[in-house]
Amino acid sequence: MNISLHWLKDYVNLDGISTEDIVDKLTMAGLEVEDYTDQNKKYSTLVVGKVKNVNKHPNADRLTVCSVFDGKEDLQIVCGAPNVKAGQIVALASVGVFIPKANFKIEKAKIRGVESFGMICAEDELELSDDHSGIMVLNDDLVPGTLLNEALQLNDVLLDIAITPNRPDALSHIGVARDAAAIFNRDLKLPKIDLNESQKEAKDYASIEIEDKINCPRYTAKVVTNLTIKESPEWLKNKLKSIGLRPINNVVDVTNFVAMELGQPLHAFDLDLLAKKKIIIKSTETKKKFTTLDSKERELDKHTLMICDGEKEVAIAGVMGGENSEVAESTKNILIESAYFNPKSIRKTSRKLQLVTDSSYRFERGTDPSNTLYASQRAAQLISEVAGGEVAKDHIDIYPSRIKNKEIIIRFQRIKKILGFDVPKTEVVKIFNRLGINIIKDLSDSLEVVVPTYRPDIEREVDLIEEVARIYGYNKIPAVSKIGITMEKRDDESLFTDEVRNCAVMMGLKEILNNPLISEFLAKITGKPIKISNPQSRDMAYLRTSLTIAALQTVANNINKGEKDLSLFEIGNVFNTTNENLKSFGDISEKRKLLLLLTGKKDERSWNTDEKSYDFYDLKGLVNSFFSKFSLDNLLNDTYNSSEKSIYEYYFSKNFNDDVVAVGGKVSKNALDLFDIEQDVYSFEIDLDKIFEIKTEKRKYTEPLKYPKINRDFAFIFNKSVTYEVVTNFILEQSSGILKEVEIFDIFESKDLGEDSKSMAFSLEYFDYNKTLTDEEVENDFKNLIKKITEKFNAILRGN
Amino acid sequence: MLFEEIDRVKQDFDQDIKEADSDKKLELIRIKYLSRKGLVTQLFGQLKSVPKADKPSVGKKLNSLRQEITAAFNNLKLKYGGDDKVSSAAIDLTLPGSKYKTGSKHLLIQTLDEIKNIFKGMGFSVYEGPELESDFYNFEALNFPPDHPARDMQDTFFVSDDFVLRTHTTPVQIRIMEKLKPPVRGIMPGRVYRNEAISARSFCMFHQVDGIYVDTDVTFAELKGTLVSFAKQFYGTDLKYRFRPSYFPFTEPSAEMDITCYICKGKGCRVCKKTGWLEILGCGMVDPNVFKHVDYDSEKYTGYAFGMGIERIAMLKYGIDDIRMFFENDHRFLKQF
Ligand SMILES: [Zn+2]
Repeated sequence: MNISLHWLKDYVNLDGISTEDIVDKLTMAGLEVEDYTDQNKKYSTLVVGKVKNVNKHPNADRLTVCSVFDGKEDLQIVCGAPNVKAGQIVALASVGVFIPKANFKIEKAKIRGVESFGMICAEDELELSDDHSGIMVLNDDLVPGTLLNEALQLNDVLLDIAITPNRPDALSHIGVARDAAAIFNRDLKLPKIDLNESQKEAKDYASIEIEDKINCPRYTAKVVTNLTIKESPEWLKNKLKSIGLRPINNVVDVTNFVAMELGQPLHAFDLDLLAKKKIIIKSTETKKKFTTLDSKERELDKHTLMICDGEKEVAIAGVMGGENSEVAESTKNILIESAYFNPKSIRKTSRKLQLVTDSSYRFERGTDPSNTLYASQRAAQLISEVAGGEVAKDHIDIYPSRIKNKEIIIRFQRIKKILGFDVPKTEVVKIFNRLGINIIKDLSDSLEVVVPTYRPDIEREVDLIEEVARIYGYNKIPAVSKIGITMEKRDDESLFTDEVRNCAVMMGLKEILNNPLISEFLAKITGKPIKISNPQSRDMAYLRTSLTIAALQTVANNINKGEKDLSLFEIGNVFNTTNENLKSFGDISEKRKLLLLLTGKKDERSWNTDEKSYDFYDLKGLVNSFFSKFSLDNLLNDTYNSSEKSIYEYYFSKNFNDDVVAVGGKVSKNALDLFDIEQDVYSFEIDLDKIFEIKTEKRKYTEPLKYPKINRDFAFIFNKSVTYEVVTNFILEQSSGILKEVEIFDIFESKDLGEDSKSMAFSLEYFDYNKTLTDEEVENDFKNLIKKITEKFNAILRGN
Repeated sequence: MLFEEIDRVKQDFDQDIKEADSDKKLELIRIKYLSRKGLVTQLFGQLKSVPKADKPSVGKKLNSLRQEITAAFNNLKLKYGGDDKVSSAAIDLTLPGSKYKTGSKHLLIQTLDEIKNIFKGMGFSVYEGPELESDFYNFEALNFPPDHPARDMQDTFFVSDDFVLRTHTTPVQIRIMEKLKPPVRGIMPGRVYRNEAISARSFCMFHQVDGIYVDTDVTFAELKGTLVSFAKQFYGTDLKYRFRPSYFPFTEPSAEMDITCYICKGKGCRVCKKTGWLEILGCGMVDPNVFKHVDYDSEKYTGYAFGMGIERIAMLKYGIDDIRMFFENDHRFLKQF
């Protein structure tokens, strides 16, 4: 909300209080001043100048070379405005002056070969209006060299106040003045109504009927006849311009002025355009089209609250008037509408039409139902002042069921219970009085009060406590440190995720966080995605169904920046749907996952290492280390699949009782092509919710082995189709039980071995928990194994 | 005949040595050619049966074969031999050390950890909730009536009439209070979403920490105490602060906490929009309407709640001026923290 300090001072005397203090105290009372402009400071860098002569620019038809007197000397200025003429008095910015609108500092410049030492300003460049048709021409009697702020009396302070949605009362100058009066303990002065009314009564000119009493509880109207539509006087135009509103004509300007003064939106109808001189407030029964005064045709829903005349709709109630009844130059007689509409109804219409106006903004937050008459009188009085005409006697005011003031009891003990300290009773009484909250009963340890209708946010005792705290000052409430110890075990639901994260960091991976909003195409590759009903763009219209598909873009971006060697992890949620219509949590699957991702070089080339790229075995090793860290390695079994599926060229999964808890592998070329990634990527996703549920036994200490281990190695030539896993399992099965570990330490193929063969070398570890093994025991087992392997796989033992 | 065999062994060796790219393969080559039963030794064994006249020339050829093979082998052994090399070469302490990869937590998580630790130290538990949240938890139970302008304060992504991407972590407050009886004291970190245009200042998602404490006599004064303690632990003890009235549907009275801008020390700068203050969190006393939804007696129990955005705090703390940096995952950014 834009507030002019000059305007504000019409209603509350703030003499002797600095601007900084006003800004600070309003902010500290909940009317947060986000920014403010002191015009004196802003415009004192510019001066009044006089254009002495204007010559054609030698190199440009549209430019002129002017000589402008700044009070001391003549400056050569290249000007592009069509209206510049010798003899004009203008606003002059010389070298070094900051131009707010364009956000630049004037510098000595050469424009098409001619030097220029300043700028003659247009209104928009000085943020005085949005006029950019030409330079601003000032009054002839201004003396060159006078500071612009003094010459134009630009000495207002403009406040930009962020009004929270609970405070519709503060969406006007009088509303803010009321709080200022309370804060600074000054009196609030409301404009007096002094109407010179004609003999004929308003109800003789028009009649009003409310059909939809729920959505229009009150409708008040005044009539002004025989007026003249013209430009508003300077004072009125300046007031509106000061807060950024564009003057239109005297009648419309008055309605806007009163809206910004009192917070009551008004609308003026051309009375002669109202069929049968009738106003009917009712809701539409069917969908229809309606043209608003901005000449746009709008689609109205069923049940839209409308203002109608005897034949047709003439305005969308509380939102915008119709083109068909708009005040125009020819208008002679008007009806001023000042109504109270149901906030919910206005909000619904405004949202449906996607049309937010100053009027709808106030109505949907709640205007003051008690204020409609006063506002209409204020407008009628001002209109008769600026547009002539006669104000018809009395008014039409339909208010079938009066909106009652709320009566609330506030207990002093409760103030203490909420705030933690006592506010003196005298202070509480003072604060209520200044805010217009009437005390009707003093019950000694409590007060019964009546809340004015302009404060719809105050409904309960606790709301009154906030008012007390707000005006008394939050900073007067002490900061007490009184946290007690906890007698129950403290929960930490993020503990497991944190352990997972620490493990990933320990394994040398860097954490990433990706945007879960991705395109439909990508989301559908890895699951049944959930759609955003109101997405920002097609690229962000669905929720990710896997972490990998959303992370590949990060991989691609990094590769493009030359960061090709990545070992990353992400912990995040993925979303799938089990039902088209999302009605209950059962239709949604939201799962927390861990992504492990490797790509590029594992080792860079260096003087003591050779370059090595990440491969599948690095991924597998990483995954196994992870699971062993969580003591899950013995509970899960692996399955392998070497054919392409989903985003993987080949992959393996970790299963718990046939339930897949984690899966990943080499990302397929098809998937990588979507992101123009040309290097191999390995990724693995672990379902953390499932892992968390698998109860692992608490790790217990095991005594280190007391007896020596005996190692034996052998190597065989196998047929290529024989896998490591089959051989290892076979060895363990065939051994007598003293064999505890089998590890492969070499594998290769070569021409010497033959096309279909490969060599695998294993190291065997023998030991017994209870005794020292003899060489003979081991040798027997070892020889037996060699025999069995040779038979089973038709393998050839390689010479030791 | 032996001449031809020598040539064949040489050819085989040349082929094998080409494929030798590890110490293990080299070892196999050594066994094949140079060991006691190796091919070269075998050839020397055959020298006995060569006619006397040919002996010198065959012997010469054999010797040169052994030299060539040994030289080629030793040359590669130097490259792949690992340990041999370092121990045999004079140690040069100035050579760069080997490279190790280090892992790291995302900067936002590091910031969150810091916040979490402070509140855990004060006796707060940590709770979590879903990101896809029902309208009831995200809005209704938090006293945002349907069709109320307060809902405009949070631009919402909808996935259906009943479900939204949660706009704050505050719904977890409701979930916890539904489960537990007072006293309840916990923080709720998590990811939230807002349908805001993406720019340097705002992103479509970010992270929050909410907190709540409900008991028989929790007051606004205590809320101030807790948050001042937090701010001093996080930002430093010499910090100045202020609480000013604000509005949140789920708290009454509501406040926002500002601390002195530590970039300009309160003089006013671009970051603090010339005010000298930086807003760091929103807070207030739990609204009785919220208690109504979880069946807490608001006459008996009072509580405070607060919430803060992690990105904003991290941006201020580390001097990051574009929120998008957190989600671009630029490796050069990740490596810095
Ligand atoms: Zn600052």
